[in-house]
Amino acid sequence: MIRLEEVTKVYPDGTEAVRGVTLQVAKGEFCVLLGPSGCGKTTTLKMINRLIPLSSGRITVDGVDIYKVDPNDLRRGIGYAIQEIGLFPHMTVGENIATVPRLLRWPKERIRRRVEELLELVGLVPPEEFSKKYPAELSGGQRQRVGVARALGADPPILLMDEPFGAIDPITRERLQDEFLRIQAEIKKTIVFVTHDINEAVKLGDRIALMREGRLVQYATPAELLAHPKDGFVRDFVGADRTLKALRLLRVREVMEEKPPTVEASKPLAEARERLERLGVNFLPVVDREGRFLGWLNRTNLRPEGRVAEVMTPYSVLATPDTPLNEALSLMFESAVGNLAVVDGEGRLRGLLTFRRLHEVLRESYREEGQG
Amino acid sequence: MAEAWQFLLRRPDLLSGWTLQHLYIILVANGISLIIAVALGIWITGRGREKIADVVLYLSDIIMTIPSLAMFGFLMPLFAALGLKSYGFGVAVTALVLYGLLPVIRNTYTAIKEVDPAVVEAGRGMGMSELQILTRIKLPLATPVIMAGLRNAVVINIGIAAIAAMIGAGGLGVPIFRGLRNLRMDLIITGAVALTLLAWAADGLLGLLERWLTPEGLKRARKR
Ligand SMILES: Nc1ncnc2c1ncn2[C@@H]1O[C@H](COP(=O)(O)OP(=O)(O)O)[C@@H](O)[C@H]1O
Ligand SMILES: [Mg+2]
Repeated sequence: MIRLEEVTKVYPDGTEAVRGVTLQVAKGEFCVLLGPSGCGKTTTLKMINRLIPLSSGRITVDGVDIYKVDPNDLRRGIGYAIQEIGLFPHMTVGENIATVPRLLRWPKERIRRRVEELLELVGLVPPEEFSKKYPAELSGGQRQRVGVARALGADPPILLMDEPFGAIDPITRERLQDEFLRIQAEIKKTIVFVTHDINEAVKLGDRIALMREGRLVQYATPAELLAHPKDGFVRDFVGADRTLKALRLLRVREVMEEKPPTVEASKPLAEARERLERLGVNFLPVVDREGRFLGWLNRTNLRPEGRVAEVMTPYSVLATPDTPLNEALSLMFESAVGNLAVVDGEGRLRGLLTFRRLHEVLRESYREEGQG
Repeated sequence: MAEAWQFLLRRPDLLSGWTLQHLYIILVANGISLIIAVALGIWITGRGREKIADVVLYLSDIIMTIPSLAMFGFLMPLFAALGLKSYGFGVAVTALVLYGLLPVIRNTYTAIKEVDPAVVEAGRGMGMSELQILTRIKLPLATPVIMAGLRNAVVINIGIAAIAAMIGAGGLGVPIFRGLRNLRMDLIITGAVALTLLAWAADGLLGLLERWLTPEGLKRARKR
């Protein structure tokens, strides 16, 4: 657990970069420091690993004042990743990742295993190949992955990250964010993550600390921050499209219609017509005997004779129960039928996401916004 | 030319003696100079030493502009005043140590200053001590540039060391000056050719050493 108590930083030139920030990050929690450029995020972050000395206040890690421990020992126990990455250009990827384990004098064999494990974790496979490369031989995205792997080197319980995905193209950034969420679900570190990008903050954080001119303005979960911005500054910063951003926080499983009516592919069309009419719908999801989703039966394609499989339209897009709602929304626009089928890992139909359902969700959050 | 060849065939021992003497002076002078210059170059990169760095670089710059004959002219009375032998090896090596400083100090200083601050911050942030940052990051990254400075210093000094023969330090200046005094073209040519070849050889060998000491990761970075 990390605790900041009334933390203040005044630089020698008189700049008051951080003013009386008090904030607590629980074990295993992902805290995002968010705010416009120059609001004191980096300063706050670097005070936690003592790269910048405090002017006043107190910071404790697991209850221990960070000024009670040797700074190098402190830092070896806290992973650190920055936007510029700062990979050592004269060392191989493997040597870079082994930095902290080496400082801690781990045995060679343990280091080698750890490096491979981390390369696999961040998706640089095969690890034997990547471990021997030099930073100059990697793409920007790959370098950033090495930076994350290096921060995780000696399996520190805490990670400090300063805009680690800031300097990457948007597509790669999205992918790295997704991967990082997956990694975090696995390793459960206590993370303090700096960004000025509200979307990134909402996507990654368990809690967001919004800063302005060195002060902590609001410390809340992303949903709270979006639904109940504390003041005009927060409202402006999170932006006008809060509702759309809020969609990102919801998963398909929370709003889909479960156990939707279906039709089996082997059934005669006459039976299917009857079913469509009884339900009063124009489309039905088609499944096989095991309940695996195959495509859609469209009322306009019905023929007097034959079986469902013969006239079915195979699906073009799919969602899983874990797809964020904002992504599901754009998938729905691609879907020929407007509805989105939700399938599990085995391809079995779990539910349907319909525009009607989505509309309800949006209306609810608009109402909340009106109150906030 | 032919006379020089004849001389060489007659007294190969003399030429190898002068060459070895020359090499020995350079080795001692640039060895000492390298150690002082690298240490000084590192030291002046320290935090809060920007002023000192300016002064050091300025002074070593001034040393470079002193003509070598004048340098001997200053050092000989100084050595005499200190009660030391005022001619020969000692004075020559001292002058060459001074001349060898600037290229190495300047290259060490700039190379270390130019190490990407993000790389240093990453090292510090992961718990490297300042000494570890110096020996594991800054120096390996600065090595090629420091070596280029050394190469420069050695080539300059090979030339200046020839002049040191005038104050009795020996080396490849001996046949040249002797030839000039006695109008012995064979001696002049032998000395001049040997001196040039020595400078080229040193340049080439130190170039190879520089390449050999360049970290593999930097070579690959340059290829892109
Ligand atoms: N070393 C420094 N000396 C003086 N002022 C600084 C220094 N570093 C940062 N600042 C100032 O402190 C404020 C906060 O900076 P920083 O923490 O880097 O903000 P952020 O990371 O949120 O962009 C800014 O006004 C910045 O100009
Ligand atoms: Mg910053």
